[in-house]
Order: sequence, then C-alpha cells, then structure tokens
Amino acid sequence: MLHLLLIAWRNLLQHRKRTAMLSVTLAGISTLMVLLLALTGGARERLLESATLLATGHVNIGGFYKVAPGLATPAVTHYPKLLELVRREIPELEHVSVRGRGWALFVSDARTLKSDIVGVDIQQEPALREVLSLKEGNLEELARPGTVLLFEEQAHKLEAKVGDMLTVSATTFRGVNNTVDVRVVGIARDIGLLSSLSIFLPNATLRELYQLNDDSAGVLQLYLKDMADTPVVQLRLRQLLEKEGFQVLRASEGIYWMKLDAVTQQDWTGQKLDITSWEDEMSLLRFAVTALDALGGVLVALLLLIVGVGVMNTLWVAIRERTQEVGTLRAIGMHRWRVVVMFLLEGSVLALASTLVGVGLGLGLCAVLNAAHIPVPDGAQVVLMTDFLHFQVGPRALLPPVFFVTACVSFVSLFPAFLAARLRPVTAMSHLG
Amino acid sequence: MRTPLSRSFLARWLVPALLLALSPLSALANAPALTPEQLHQLLLKVDERSRTPTDYRVVMTSVIKRDTGTAVREAQLFRRDREERLLLLFTAPKTEAGKGYLREESNLWSYDPNVGRWERRTERESIGGTESRRSDFDQTRYATWFDATYEGTEKVGNANTHRITLKVKEGHDVPFPVIKMWLDVATTNPIKREEYALSGKLLRTVLASGWKKVALKEREEPFWYPEELRLYDELNKGNSSTFKSKAVDMRALPANLFTKAWLESKSR
Repeated sequence: MLHLLLIAWRNLLQHRKRTAMLSVTLAGISTLMVLLLALTGGARERLLESATLLATGHVNIGGFYKVAPGLATPAVTHYPKLLELVRREIPELEHVSVRGRGWALFVSDARTLKSDIVGVDIQQEPALREVLSLKEGNLEELARPGTVLLFEEQAHKLEAKVGDMLTVSATTFRGVNNTVDVRVVGIARDIGLLSSLSIFLPNATLRELYQLNDDSAGVLQLYLKDMADTPVVQLRLRQLLEKEGFQVLRASEGIYWMKLDAVTQQDWTGQKLDITSWEDEMSLLRFAVTALDALGGVLVALLLLIVGVGVMNTLWVAIRERTQEVGTLRAIGMHRWRVVVMFLLEGSVLALASTLVGVGLGLGLCAVLNAAHIPVPDGAQVVLMTDFLHFQVGPRALLPPVFFVTACVSFVSLFPAFLAARLRPVTAMSHLG
Repeated sequence: MRTPLSRSFLARWLVPALLLALSPLSALANAPALTPEQLHQLLLKVDERSRTPTDYRVVMTSVIKRDTGTAVREAQLFRRDREERLLLLFTAPKTEAGKGYLREESNLWSYDPNVGRWERRTERESIGGTESRRSDFDQTRYATWFDATYEGTEKVGNANTHRITLKVKEGHDVPFPVIKMWLDVATTNPIKREEYALSGKLLRTVLASGWKKVALKEREEPFWYPEELRLYDELNKGNSSTFKSKAVDMRALPANLFTKAWLESKSR
C-alpha cells in the first residue's frame, strides 16, 4: 500500500500544472466552506446566547397562579423555597435568574405600546448586562425602582428618549387596573425579534404594578454549566417537584403567554408550575436555528456537488491522458483493484492536502473578519439577533470541509479509476492519448 | 322718579331673570351635605334603580373612536338580573355579527363564530374592543362593594351634583378600585364617573346622559337606564366609545336564551 501511496504522490508531483489547478480549486472551496459554516455557526451561537439571556434560561421554572378559574397570572409564589430546592438538588446548576413576567400597556406623551414585560434584578444578571448593548443611558440605573429599559424599536414607537416618563398600565392578578410611572434610563440596541417582544423593568416595579408579594416571581431561569444537560435536568426537576408535592403542568412547548389562554380555560385555582427548556420556550427560535443549520447544509451540499463534478471531470481527462500508462502497469502485472486504489489515493492525497491548506486559510480569514466587526444589515438582524457578523471557528466549521471534501473527491475518483482499471492492457497500450 | 313702565319692566323681566340666573347657585348652596347614612341610602337607591325584577332587552349602537379611524357596531343586550345573567350579541357589521359574551355566575365567556370556540374571559376586561366593561351594562353594587365618602356639591354641565368618592371594600374584585362619581341632585342618577387605578391614576371617564325610567309593576322604584353612555380612555387619549340604547323591552325572554347553545345558534 505504501508504494501505491508513493506512486500517487509522484504522479501528483509529475503533473504539477494540473495538481496546482485542482489544489487551488479544492483549497478555495474548503476556505469558502469554513467561512460559510463559521458564519452560520456564529449566527446560531449568538441566536442561542441572546435568546437564553433575554427570554429564557436553559431550564425554566415558571407557572401560573389562578385566584379564580378565569384569572390566570404568570407567577410563581413562594419562590425562595423553590430556589433553595433547586440549588440543593441540581448539581449541574451554574446560576439562577429570578425574573418577573407580565403584559402591559406603555403610555408616553405621544404614543402607546402593548408589550410583554420582564422584571429583572440587573445587578444579579452580569451576563444580561453583557448581551445588552446600550445606545443611550445608563444600565446601572435599572437597579432603581420606577425605571425602564427600552430597545431602539420600542423607543421609536413610543417616541421616547432617555429621561422621559412613561405610564405602565396592567391588571393585577385579581383583575384590578393598576399603573406605575417609570423613567426611561436606557435605550438598548435591538437584538433581533426577541428585543422587540420584551421591555425590561426592575423586579420591584413589576411587583408594585401587579401587587405581588416579595416572594413571588414570574419565572426562575436556570442556567446550567453545560447546556447539553438541559433535557436530563428538565426531566429530573419535573420528577423532583412532583415528589415534593408541587402541582406541575403537563409538558408543552411555547412561550408562557401562548399558554395563558389554555390555562385560563381550565377550572383549577391556585398555583401550578410549568417546567420548560429553552427549546420549549423558544419554539419559534428553534425554527430559526433549524433553518440556519439547513441553510448551511444546503450551501455545503451545493459546493460539494460543484466540486465533485469538476474534480471528476478533471480526473477523467487525466486518466484518459494516462491510458497508456495504465496499460503498461497492467501489462507488467498490476492487478485491477491496485489500479483503482492508485487513482483513489491520488485523489484523496490531493484533496486532503488541499483542504488542510484551505481550512488554514479559512481560519485566518475568520479571525480577520471577526476583528473587522462587520455590521449586519437591519433586516438580517431580525433573524440573526446580532448587530455584527460573528464567525464561530470550531469543530463544526473546520471538520466538515476536511472530511467531506476529501471523501467527496475520493468518491468521485472511483468512477474514472474503475473505468481505467477495466481496460485490457493491450487496448490501453495501443490507445493514442 | 319711577314710571309705571319701569316698574312693569322690573316686575316682568329683570326680577325673574335674576332669580332664574341665581336659581342653580341657590339650589347648589341649598343642597345639604349628606350624612354617611344618607349617602348609603342614596347609593342603595342608585343600585336599586339599576336592576330590574323583569327581563331586560335593549339594542345598543356603539361608536368606537381610535387614532386610526371610527368603527360602528350594533349589539343586543339581554339581562335577567334576578339570576345574575347577561348576554351580549353583536349583530352588525357582518364581520362582528354572531360574536358575543355570556355571563354565567362569576364567569364571563366570549364566543367567536369564526373559530367556533368559547373562551373564558376575565370579568374585568374590555368588551368587544371598546372602552367598556361588563359592569357598565349590568346592575350596580356601589352600596355593597364600596366605601363611600361624600365630597360636596358640584356643577356638571347644567346639573347640580353630589360628588362622591368610592373605594372598593376588601374582598371585592372590581376593575377600578377607586371611583369618583357625580350624582344628579334632582334625579339621583350617576351622570359622571371618573375611574382610577390602584396607583390613583385616572384611567377612564364615563358620562351617562339621557336617563330614562321604566315603571315597574313589581316595585315602586322605577328602573332607570341612560340612553347614551360615553366612555373616554384617559391613558390612550383620543380613544373613546359611545353607546346609544334604543328599543328597550322589558318583556320576558325565552328560558333558554342565556345559554351557550342559544348564542351559537345565532351565527348558524
């Protein structure tokens, strides 16, 4: 086998021009694939990061409190007890965010806007502070009661700026109308679709609006050390809470407000918890992630098809040129399958060397482009949930070009190799190449 | 020196004109401050007048004003106060026809024939995209659900009124926990209401005019209803709804009217 490899390598060196041409093509394609996969991978990573920081934990303990069958509030009462249980029983836990949930009407001097509201203790949420990019104002002030953080689009709709006062109107969990006045302390840059769905208020202000006790929250967002543990922890948590005597809703997908109608129709009263994963909460987002993965896959498949056809054609021509050589090899006793292996090795060695060079180039380009901070067009921001292009360089971006391009080239080498091996030595030697 | 003509002028025009001009003020000044017991009795009277021992049916036209334009709807309201039942059926325009609300004890259900589904709604949410709540069309319970404070007398338009502040009692859930109400001194009808949030912010102003009474065989006190109800959203300035009532009918309604099946049948 070693001497076949040697013959293949020498053949490549002997046909320098053709080898160089194919190498440049394969390296270029590999670089392109790395860029493409790094781009979709980066978008996927940012999407998940933004979503899991803005709207959901890896695992969530949410739920509904019903004072009457027709009055459902997204609230978890006596949450410190749950918090203690979670910290004791979930070793995979990294940290917990206690958030408020609600729906309210925001009234500025000029306009009104109905929006989902999220209560936060901003000083307890360093990761959220990192993901929020402030255009104006001071995020630290969100720690004070009676303040609000808007995203650009929301501020635009309300015609509000930093320092303006807004009235927030909502109905309490008993159905009584209430309002609070809040001061805009910051306007953050939009982070795609999710940022247009939620407005951030301090937890204390949300509790005042909904007349909730200090030990009530909207949801406990659990962040795990490894996101991959989500399904295991979710299942364990559900079993644990049921064992501890908590009423738990049947598992279902969807953002909490999508479940509100169904819960309102049910006849029970009191507290029921809802244990969800980030995938359950972000079923819409999962579609976006799947779409990004599918887009990457389709583009890679297209590239491979083009590469495959091109390489097969080039090898075909090369083998035709070398028909006499094949005849000679067959005449001196080389077996057919060894001829096939020889051509296969030639293609594989060429592909492997080229893709390694291409991947190296791709890595370098990703680093340069990440450093360049290329802005994402506004329209694309809605889907990608990021304002700058981010190329994620990791195994997902680097390994597919090496394996798939090499495998593809090796595979397409088989057909012309088989044709060459099938020739009778006398026919091959008399061929006028 | 006074002439017969000038005496005649004084007697015939000036004195009556002055008396006429001053009469509202004097009436206002003469309206005595109400004691807590008198106030309670007054509110009991208002509540009594808002309910009827008979069935009640009225055709209502609503005009909904928004920044984006104006919409007109027509609905029929059916009430059976003795059983605390209420049904609202939208009849126009075609896109709204067949939609409705049904009150069954403490539950309020809404029905949309386009999806053929009943949804439980909160008692305190707005009705049909207007500024109204279910309680705007139902019997009132000011005397039992609220603690009242007498604030004095005040002119509202041409009417002399008692100004009253109502604060909801513990254990009663209402959309507006604080209400300022103006009761016409002459008729005892609530002609204006300002409704506040828990925080004290004004959320809604209601003007009720054209009060009509219907004599009842069953009791001495007649049943009263306003022909026009104007509801102003004080947060969304510019948003308002006006309800006009006509074709009031106090005859007995079919026994099966206050059912989901009856409302569903209206859209088939």
